[in-house]
Amino acid sequence: MHRTVRSLSLLATLLLACAPAMRAQSLGKRVTASDGLVQVVFPSRPTVCGDGRSFIANVLGRSNYYSGNGSYSSRDGWSDRPCVNGPARVVATVIGHDVTRLSTYVGPVPAAQADMRTVTTAAAEASTWLGDLVARAGGRVASDAMLPLVLADAAAPWPLLLRVARDDNRPRDVRRSALTWLANGVNDHLGIADSRDESDDDEMRTQAVFVLSQRPKTESVPELIEIARSAKHPAARRSAIFWLGQTGDLRAADVFAELLRQ
Amino acid sequence: MRIAAWLAAGALATTRLAGQSLPGRIDAVRDGRVLMTFAARPGVCGDGRGGVWFHGSRATNFSEGKRTPCIAGPVRVAIGRTDEQTVSVRQWVGGSWSSGGSDVDLGEVAPSSAAHYLLGLAHTLSGTSADAAVSAAAFADADDLSPDFMRLIRDGTASIETRKLALFWLGQSDAPTADLIRLHDSLEPFALREHYTFVLSQRHEDAAVDALIDVVRHDPNAEIRKRAMFWLGQMKEPKATKFIQDILTR
Repeated sequence: MHRTVRSLSLLATLLLACAPAMRAQSLGKRVTASDGLVQVVFPSRPTVCGDGRSFIANVLGRSNYYSGNGSYSSRDGWSDRPCVNGPARVVATVIGHDVTRLSTYVGPVPAAQADMRTVTTAAAEASTWLGDLVARAGGRVASDAMLPLVLADAAAPWPLLLRVARDDNRPRDVRRSALTWLANGVNDHLGIADSRDESDDDEMRTQAVFVLSQRPKTESVPELIEIARSAKHPAARRSAIFWLGQTGDLRAADVFAELLRQ
Repeated sequence: MRIAAWLAAGALATTRLAGQSLPGRIDAVRDGRVLMTFAARPGVCGDGRGGVWFHGSRATNFSEGKRTPCIAGPVRVAIGRTDEQTVSVRQWVGGSWSSGGSDVDLGEVAPSSAAHYLLGLAHTLSGTSADAAVSAAAFADADDLSPDFMRLIRDGTASIETRKLALFWLGQSDAPTADLIRLHDSLEPFALREHYTFVLSQRHEDAAVDALIDVVRHDPNAEIRKRAMFWLGQMKEPKATKFIQDILTR
């Protein structure tokens, strides 16, 4: 009897531990169950907003993204449209039971097209599915999955992105995308994501960082690391973190990990 | 009889051309192409089809194509004339003419005369012809062309692209860096001042580093200051690097 109870509790613990992976598998399976378009709708972080069809605002700090699917006219410019806080929506193209393309939106969910399936899910479940795509899918899909992963109102994606950035087995462009998102995440974490050049001196400091970043990696990476760690001017530090993310250098991941712990 | 008269007239014209200065000989041609060749400066070679290489202390590759055997000169220039006006200039290094019947071939001319003439011509030309005139002059094994380049750079009526090219070649010449620096105050258009920062950066001398630092510190235009800093960074001179690092800490 005692043994049965112990076995059951062990099973329950195992099930709990495996739950996210199982959920991902479950959502992933539902998405790829049949070919065509699937939109996955899930809660986005509270600050993020969008018009549901083209632009996404306040992703990290006040940074904006434009998906380019909306038609733009000066009369109906995307910047004039209401920015609605969530939900996030990922439209996946499935061919041969594989996700081949992802497009991400935030804001009002338009009426689904006749040929599009809709899956509404929890942010944690979406995050696990997207994390799985980032960690395992082919280049473009993996990179495209990073934006909705960052948008999801779930656990911070940085540990996963750090793993991907350091993973020699992942394609180079995926690792670079991970570093770019990590740089944005670090700037947000340090509260300098929105630091702008407020004076001529700031502008020249930002340019100085750019100038250093354009030199050979043997020189630029150590310089950028030093500035990223200790620059006293936020605009210069923010710029160094950004350009460090663009180098694709493995040392950037170590510095980002260190800064994310601060 | 008519053929003999025509030949006699032709011979007379050639004799008359031969006795004139280079500009006079070119201006005497009403319509058609005037061809001339002159010695290229050491280090300049070409593929005869438009590709030109310059293996000087400041080596630059001017060919867009793949590397082919590089022939050390001469510079060949074809000047197109219509109604006594020069309407086009084309230049090559190496190779030989496949001249048409209506061409007037001046043969080999003195490189300095050709270079001074072409730089004078560049004041009123634009586009490919102006580029060809300035480049051909720069390739010539000529005496000091600095005054001609400076006149062209300062000429507000010449095209900006031509002035930029003249500034580039002045930077590549043996003209002292001090002459380049003195030019700065007379460079009015943005494009020219921006180009000046690049030209200066190709001179890996202390004076050039100081001049660029001066632009970063004092130029009234923020974009020019940024460009100057960019080129400073590309110079890889310790003094330039220290200046950039200091900006970040002050």
